[in-house]
Amino acid sequence: MRTIAKVCIPDMDATVNDFVINVATANGTGSQSSNLILLNSLFEMGVPVSGKNLFPSNISGLPTWFIIRASDKGYQAPGDRTNIQILMNPDTWLKDIEKIESGTVIIYNENVKMPVEREDCLVFGLPMTKLARGINPKMAKMIANMYYVGVIQHLIGIEQSALERAVNRQFKGKSSAVEVNLRAIEEGRAMAAEGIDWESPHVVEAREKDENAFLVDGNEAVALGSIYGGINMLSWYPITPSSSVAEGIIQWLPELRDTSDGEATCAVVQAEDELAAAGMVLGAGWAGGRGMTCTSGPGISLMSEFIGLAYFAEVPGVIWDVNRVGPSTGLPTRTQQGDLNLLREASHGDTEHIVLIPGTVEECFEYGWRAFEYAERYQTLVFGFSDLDLGMNNWVCTDFEYPSEEINRGKVLRTAEQISAIENYGRYRDVDGDGVPYRTLPGSGLDPILYRGTGHDEDGIYSEEPEVYRKLMMRLKRKIDNSRADLPAPVMREEKEQDVGIIYMGSMENTIQEIDDMIEQAGLKVSQCRIRAMPIHPDVEGFIERHERVIVLEINRDGQLYGVLRKELPNNLVSRISSVAYSDGMPPRARIYADIILETLGEVKP
Amino acid sequence: MRPVKLNVIDLPKTDYTGGPSSLCPGCGHDQISGVIIQACWENGIDPSRIAKMSGIGCSSKTPAYFLGKSHGFNTVHGRMPSVTTGANMVNKDLVYLGVSGDGDSASIGIGQFIHAIRRNVNMVYIIENNGVYGLTKGQYSATVQKGSKKRKGAPNEQPPIDMCKLAINLGCGFVARSFSGAKKQLTALMKAALSHRGMAVIDVISPCVTFANNDESYSSYGYVKDHGEELHGIDYIHHFQPLNEVDIPEGGYEDVQLFDGSVLRLETLSSEYDHTNPTAAIAALHNAEIDKKHVTGLLHHNTEMPTADEDQGLVDIPLCDLPPDMLRPDRETHRKIMTRFRA
Repeated sequence: MRTIAKVCIPDMDATVNDFVINVATANGTGSQSSNLILLNSLFEMGVPVSGKNLFPSNISGLPTWFIIRASDKGYQAPGDRTNIQILMNPDTWLKDIEKIESGTVIIYNENVKMPVEREDCLVFGLPMTKLARGINPKMAKMIANMYYVGVIQHLIGIEQSALERAVNRQFKGKSSAVEVNLRAIEEGRAMAAEGIDWESPHVVEAREKDENAFLVDGNEAVALGSIYGGINMLSWYPITPSSSVAEGIIQWLPELRDTSDGEATCAVVQAEDELAAAGMVLGAGWAGGRGMTCTSGPGISLMSEFIGLAYFAEVPGVIWDVNRVGPSTGLPTRTQQGDLNLLREASHGDTEHIVLIPGTVEECFEYGWRAFEYAERYQTLVFGFSDLDLGMNNWVCTDFEYPSEEINRGKVLRTAEQISAIENYGRYRDVDGDGVPYRTLPGSGLDPILYRGTGHDEDGIYSEEPEVYRKLMMRLKRKIDNSRADLPAPVMREEKEQDVGIIYMGSMENTIQEIDDMIEQAGLKVSQCRIRAMPIHPDVEGFIERHERVIVLEINRDGQLYGVLRKELPNNLVSRISSVAYSDGMPPRARIYADIILETLGEVKP
Repeated sequence: MRPVKLNVIDLPKTDYTGGPSSLCPGCGHDQISGVIIQACWENGIDPSRIAKMSGIGCSSKTPAYFLGKSHGFNTVHGRMPSVTTGANMVNKDLVYLGVSGDGDSASIGIGQFIHAIRRNVNMVYIIENNGVYGLTKGQYSATVQKGSKKRKGAPNEQPPIDMCKLAINLGCGFVARSFSGAKKQLTALMKAALSHRGMAVIDVISPCVTFANNDESYSSYGYVKDHGEELHGIDYIHHFQPLNEVDIPEGGYEDVQLFDGSVLRLETLSSEYDHTNPTAAIAALHNAEIDKKHVTGLLHHNTEMPTADEDQGLVDIPLCDLPPDMLRPDRETHRKIMTRFRA
């Protein structure tokens, strides 16, 4: 046990509920349990908290960081600096230490036998592996992590009852595991209490906990939403970071959707590749079911041919893209908003697709079921667009609101009477003038046609006639265009001053307020407009009109949302928008984006 | 006027026909379309219960030329099996009739062919096998035998992918090979495939009259006639056919019981052939390849495996017909789930 604190730490009062803990470990060492216990302990105390797992594309042994941020202001981004650094991983040890700023609390595993020469920090070490061996030699690697939980408990003042609830939850009440881990935590806490003779600059204070609040990741929310949306067929090919959507559906189906006799109402097929997964979605939609698959960017690339067929032959289906970093295999376990262009116009020729873009776990649930409604309403493929940050990290949530609309299967003709009530019925004839034709289902015997990806007339018959093709393509454009106002409207938070408007989307929701506050510190009032669907909702135009300068903020290199807006906005509004796009694989850190925004606006950095 | 002949569900054959073919006159594929019409009509399958599925290529265009009263889906190149699988999952009660070609199934779509067999999707999978890519003007496909030569260009020097061998190796429960010109055999096999529950693959050698009907082409009319080798004489007996109308062969024969109660009667020709033994089937195919021959008939039959939809443990009613209350948990369940999240 070693503690260093004779250093001159700059005077600072202890900050309350405003700090960042960074745990540096290797994956496969069991640190996920200890990190979630820390996260859940703070959550149990009612402290606004978020956790981010930065993990490698690997099974075991490569560096992993877990970042926990407590913030009374509700900031959920990883923060710009680490306040408490845990060092467990010899491979990143020196680099981790190099990055630490003065005054940081460092807690480290002495058994790693690496130097910690930072006299400008508050340092405390414990022989964690050795201590853990004393409890259970076989499990020492895992249990060692619990010692830093104990040290942090002492330092920041985590309530014992909150900690115990978190441990119980983590080990699902399994008494032997709960007991062993609590013992290690308690040993760590006691040794810290005895060995640390300095005051911690960071503490927690309990807040009134919202009894309705819980932690959940976006992928599980999508999974549940899909089940409420009446999914009939899930096809999937495993890919990080989307696999847990499929696994969530598989896990919840028996309880939520099987009949009382245990019979399934949704088929699940693990496909041989993403092409097949997409093909199964089309097959299910063609046959009148609700089919869905989930994937990430590389999967969308592979599915693109089928996506064009669904658009052209007007087959409903749902595809969730949980975005990871591209291009190519990219950074498979890092986050980005880099697939927007791909989703909006996937496949060759003129195509466009409806894209739903949740920014919260509540919206992941809601769009999970709504995606099927839109798909059948518009007889087209609908994308859900999430990302690794939203999908795989835990977020605070209070409720998944029960679907506000009944299931509606769209324009399906099921009887001969319904067909004969339509004058001159044809599968692709725009009877209602809204661009959405009526369809009949296989097995019904009603006006059967051969669906095709080749040119076709209003009756579905093969055609290469110029005017037939042109008319079909213009109707398809009208059909998707007509969905604009029907899709989720943007969420707008507007200031009276209307200096600067920021348009953004998706998981940036979790960082926008912190960015907003930073820009306000520079003297500018910021209004926010979060886009929640493509094609762009008509309300976005009004937002741009009301603001002198508008920034389009996103997590990619090229400004893909900016590009979509430039294409879809009237010309006179295009000149008002400027792009701020930045991506390095990490969840967005507010300072980086705020600085680029200020620079773009011609303001001096604070 | 002669009364119109009706099938067992009182439908005329015209209820099973399709639009006019746009394939080359004399194309083997058109003969196969004729057999599909005949087999579906004689089996008395309600055409509205049939789903015609295809990929891309000359073969995959043919669903427009048969079963005009059936819904169909002409999908993308090589991906017919996955679309059929998805449709089959949400409506297990349809009769899925997949039509594909050798380019579609043996090259671009070989992965989907393999996995549809592995899952035992309940469908008939017809490969209209002419050894060339017709729509792109006659390039060799992967099923063409070594030494075979199309009308123009050099002979093919690469070994073939034998789709029947592949299917048997994958455990497919119904594997047959036939020739588009062998109407009686092909019709019997087509009916038997429609009576089978599970994946039924029929590889039909179908001459391309435009690019590969020369004598040096092993899939030309002339070559197949001279080098075809039938494993058995073949007769299909409908489950609804009165027994006194069934011919009893004079020589030895064996009856294959099919899922719907129909029987495929295999008459022994030269030697005994055990259609239940996959090794025998592989050997027969292997020997035929060495001898540059085409062995035809029911190569392999096995009904032991559950189908892809049976594997799912689905409710009886097709998923596409489920009422809304079976598609969404109720409010009470939702409250319980939310409470559990909050605990």
